[in-house]
Amino acid sequence: MMNISLRLRRPSRMVDGKRMRMTSSFQWLLLTFILLYLMNQVNSQKRGAPRDLKCITNNLQVWDCSWKAPSGAGHGTIYEVCIESRSHSCYQSEKTNAKIPALLPGDHEITINRLYDFGNPISKFTLNEKNVSLIPDTPEILNLSADFSTSTLHLKWNDRGSIFPRHLNVIWEVKILRKENTEIIKLVTHNTTVNGKDTVHHWSWASDMPLECTTHSVAIRCYVDDPHFSGRKEWSDWSPLKNISWSPDSQTKVFPQDKVILVGSDITFCCVTQEKVLSAQIGQTNCPLIHLDGENVAIKIHNISVSANSGTNVVFTTEDNIFGTVIFAGYPPDIPQKLNCETYDLKEIICTWNPGRPTALVGPRNTSYTLFESFSGKYVKFKRVEAPTNESYQLFFQMRPNQEIYNFTLNARNPLGRSESTILVNITEKVYPRIPTSIKVKDINSTAVILSWHLPGNFAKIKLLCQIEINKTNSVQERNITIRGVENSSYLVAVDQLNPYTVYTFRIRCSAETFWKWSKWSNEKKYLTTEAIPSKGPDTWREWSSDGKNLIIYWKPLPINEANGKILSYNVSCSLDEETQSLSEIPDPQHKAELQLDKNDYIISVVAKNSVGSSPPSKIASMEIPNDDLKVEQAVGMGNGILLTWNYDPSMTCDYVIKWCNSSRAEPCLMDWKKVPSNSTEAVIESDQFRPGVRYNFFLYGCRNQGYQLLRSIIGYIEELAPIVAPNFTVEDTSADSILVRWEDIPVEELRGFLRGYLFYFEKGERDTSKIRGLESGRSDIKVKNITDLSQKTLRIADLQGKTSYHLVLRAYTDGGMGPEKSMFVVTKENSVGLIIAILIPVAVAVIVGVVTSILCYRKREWIKETFYPDIPNPENCKALQFQKSVCEGNSALKTLEMNPCTPNNVEVLETRSAVPKIEDTEIISPIAERPEESSDAEPENHVVVSYCPPVIEEEIPNPGVDEAGGTSQVIYIDVQSMYQPQAKPEEEQESDPVGGAGYKPQMHLPITSTVEDLAADADLDKTAGYRPQANVNAWNLVSPDSPRSTDSNSEIVSFGSPCSINSRQFLIPPKDEDSPKSNGGGWSFTNFFQNKPND
Amino acid sequence: LRFSLTAPLCLLTLLLLPLSLGAPISPAEPISQAYSLALYMQKNTSTLLQTYLQYQGSPFSDPGFSAPELQLSSLPPAAVSFKTWHALDDGERLGHAQGAFLALTQHLQLVGDDQRDLNPGSPILLAQLGAARLRAQGLLGNMAAIMTALGLPIPPEEDTLGVVAFGASAFERKCRGYVVTREYGHWTDRAVRDLALLKAKYPG
Repeated sequence: MMNISLRLRRPSRMVDGKRMRMTSSFQWLLLTFILLYLMNQVNSQKRGAPRDLKCITNNLQVWDCSWKAPSGAGHGTIYEVCIESRSHSCYQSEKTNAKIPALLPGDHEITINRLYDFGNPISKFTLNEKNVSLIPDTPEILNLSADFSTSTLHLKWNDRGSIFPRHLNVIWEVKILRKENTEIIKLVTHNTTVNGKDTVHHWSWASDMPLECTTHSVAIRCYVDDPHFSGRKEWSDWSPLKNISWSPDSQTKVFPQDKVILVGSDITFCCVTQEKVLSAQIGQTNCPLIHLDGENVAIKIHNISVSANSGTNVVFTTEDNIFGTVIFAGYPPDIPQKLNCETYDLKEIICTWNPGRPTALVGPRNTSYTLFESFSGKYVKFKRVEAPTNESYQLFFQMRPNQEIYNFTLNARNPLGRSESTILVNITEKVYPRIPTSIKVKDINSTAVILSWHLPGNFAKIKLLCQIEINKTNSVQERNITIRGVENSSYLVAVDQLNPYTVYTFRIRCSAETFWKWSKWSNEKKYLTTEAIPSKGPDTWREWSSDGKNLIIYWKPLPINEANGKILSYNVSCSLDEETQSLSEIPDPQHKAELQLDKNDYIISVVAKNSVGSSPPSKIASMEIPNDDLKVEQAVGMGNGILLTWNYDPSMTCDYVIKWCNSSRAEPCLMDWKKVPSNSTEAVIESDQFRPGVRYNFFLYGCRNQGYQLLRSIIGYIEELAPIVAPNFTVEDTSADSILVRWEDIPVEELRGFLRGYLFYFEKGERDTSKIRGLESGRSDIKVKNITDLSQKTLRIADLQGKTSYHLVLRAYTDGGMGPEKSMFVVTKENSVGLIIAILIPVAVAVIVGVVTSILCYRKREWIKETFYPDIPNPENCKALQFQKSVCEGNSALKTLEMNPCTPNNVEVLETRSAVPKIEDTEIISPIAERPEESSDAEPENHVVVSYCPPVIEEEIPNPGVDEAGGTSQVIYIDVQSMYQPQAKPEEEQESDPVGGAGYKPQMHLPITSTVEDLAADADLDKTAGYRPQANVNAWNLVSPDSPRSTDSNSEIVSFGSPCSINSRQFLIPPKDEDSPKSNGGGWSFTNFFQNKPND
Repeated sequence: LRFSLTAPLCLLTLLLLPLSLGAPISPAEPISQAYSLALYMQKNTSTLLQTYLQYQGSPFSDPGFSAPELQLSSLPPAAVSFKTWHALDDGERLGHAQGAFLALTQHLQLVGDDQRDLNPGSPILLAQLGAARLRAQGLLGNMAAIMTALGLPIPPEEDTLGVVAFGASAFERKCRGYVVTREYGHWTDRAVRDLALLKAKYPG
């Protein structure tokens, strides 16, 4: 702004100059003028007036204005600076600057002229505050110090605030350089105010790199920020650098040493050394080296992980050495958890807490705890534990007299930080008494004692609530009492409502009345209360001895709660008509007494005595009121007891007594008795002595007027069991169809229940066989008889078979189950009539048959002779010549051989055949076929001579194949046998019987190849060993090729040729006469034979 | 652990008995006893060193850690050239060992204290260090007995640690402990050889 104003002013000045010169040398040529003008201009600038006025201020109070001196101004020139606008104040200066007081805002005219140098122009300037620069003085660092242990730089400087006229904001800028001042690593600003006084400012900075590692330099500058100043504000110059460096001794060192840092933070380590560092590692990790001044190196670790107890090692390795340091990375202490303060004795407060998260710092770095009480201002310190644990820590704090409210603050502190936890307690409400000790018991009387104990602590200010556990056999009772606390720790209390002569176990625990915690239970203390007189007389009963002369008094020992002490003896006395007679004193273990009494009505009384006194007497009358109407009843119990019920009888005034006894015992028998009140109508009798399967007698007595009357007599079982033995039984009588059995009763002891009946089993069986079989299997052959009539002692078993062994079994049963079985084998007597009949009838039948036969034979003897033994056998009757129906079906009759149509001829069959009829060959060469021929053929010729008949074929369509085959010889051989072997298959024959036949082979061969058919054929062969007609089966079968192979149905078969043999000239009987000859009509003839039934 | 603690104690008391009772006539018996103790110690030295290193963290606990360059000026090194060693006479040999074990007992005490700070939760290490110290003391007593028997002057006990021990950094303490436990092993080895030589010289 100032410059602009100067420029604005300047043209006017120049115009002035020009005019001046124009007046003095107007005649100069224009060119010269211009030249001169220019030169003048220059000259006037050089040696003319002062120029370039510039003002700065460093304190806002004085402006230091400077200008450029004109050229002619030499040494000794004095300038006069005048501020025109004001009250024309002028300042003289020998230099080209002048300090003028700060001017008010607005333009001010300043003239500067050289004194005593007239003729020189006066410079005029317009000066405004806006043209003034505010440049503070260069600050100076008063002190730069370093805390190497914390790597902190401390900077100290003076703000020289006194030079400023008013409060001002000052901004300081600090720069920190490293690496021989080449690298600015930190540039921070710091705001302060000045207030007219010199103030020393401090500023600290913690370096991320240990200060030992390299030289750190610091410079500072400032900037005054005055809002009222309208001129330029500029930063001061930087102060000179101040250095901080560590002067290493000769030893190489690694920094920082033994530092404790927070897990996850970043840290730089450096090695200050003269040697060349080869590598660096933290833990097991190698780190890249950062080179610093000289050989110094550093490594930077980011996000350091938690250390082990002994810290994390950082090691720098040089050529021949290692250097290192240890860093402890851990956590600040957690807030103490579960801080709780209580007292055992109101003398000392014990505070416990849990350290919370482990800090991973141990030894001297471990967390230290201080417990501070704010009301009293007292504190206690926690002694460091060797090994940190997660268990509860505790501290004791001595209670202050008359202080009940305590405000505790637990401070936890370690090198990384601190935390705290507070608790406000009213200690009288946090009493956790110690265990009561020294428990003592003293008698008051037989039902009350005094209990005393010791409870350490001074509880005089509070009331205690104590719990006394009173433990008697089978019962536990707790009584709470409140007692005033005492100073001397001794407490006593009376405990009443106890039973005499009873062992009690006492134990005690206490708490404050404002309950916090019970103490632990004290040790138990056993105590026996003293005796008292027995509270009741003994339970008494009496029985007359079997001879009726003596009365036996029984009584039961008193239960402990009624005896009230140890019963020493019993006194038994009897009284008759107010006259009492003490009979005897019976020592304790005995509980009966026998008195010889007459039949008078005595009252017997029994008194139990212990060391304190006698019980009230128990009285019982000796006489029994007779009862005529008495029945014996039966009852069964419930396993552990038996329930007896009776009707209410108002006449019974005293009570009821049930006595019982094992029924097998002799009289007088008394196992036990039970008294029930007179108003009851039932009683459950239970006793450890009861055994299942044992019969007991129960007697119910009612009492009226001190006399007892037997009301009911009951036999019963607690539980019925099955009989233990089987009934003995014998066979009284045996007949052929019945057995009479008799058995005996089972003794009561072995019956073990009420007998309900017998089961009688019988079955046929020998001794050895039937034993194994069970009776219960419900077999039908076992007959069972259930005998429920207990009076029945015999049984007749009827409808038996004679002379048969019977197995008899008898068993008894009760409601408890079946008894064992007893078995016996009985053989019934023989039945003589039947035997006789059995012999006679067959004999008679045989005789009659014989006689009838004889008669018939005699009557028909002619016929028989004719039939069986004719003089001339009738061929018609020759059954041997009959053919089967199949063979001669359709024939009306079979006739003897009729040779007419068949002129026997001898045909020599030569081997001139074509190869075709191999069918025959294969057949006829069969050795089986030959054998019969050889044996039967008497003819000596080698050539087989066969009889042949020209085939008479009626209506049949000859098989062309057959025709062809047989064409050469025109002979068809018919094998009678083959008619029964129609299974033979020609194809198979050809294949499986390839033996080429040499000429004709006669008769017998059944060409059977199939294995299945072999068997059949063999069988047939056996049957038909003998003649076989020489015909191929094919010839017959092929007639109807469609017909099934199994040609059992003879109807399909059409037979050709002669069924007779020339050799034998006889037909052979077919192997089996399947069809009766009847169908054949009885006769046989060739014609018939060749007459065929219809093809189908 | 209890055994390793009590056994040397027993040996110590046993072996110190003749010393306290007066002048033994033959050096063979104390030599034999010292030799037995040294052999027994030799069995445990490597365990001690390994246990120690295991508790110091990496790189100390790395397998195969060795830093022969680390030495302690207050602790004479056991390494000696065979020629030099062989040239020693009995008095010098025993004197060296005596001096070394005296220094070792003091150093082991120092290392034990150091570890109580660094590894307070490691009773095994602390017990082994304590046991080693007691054994070294036992061997010292035995050697004194031998020297007495041989008529040699017993060197006076002196403070080998001086004031340098305090103010060491954790790393220095770890290294110090390493050197001490290592040299304890070396000196035990050397003592076994020394005593074997003496045993051969003075057969019982």
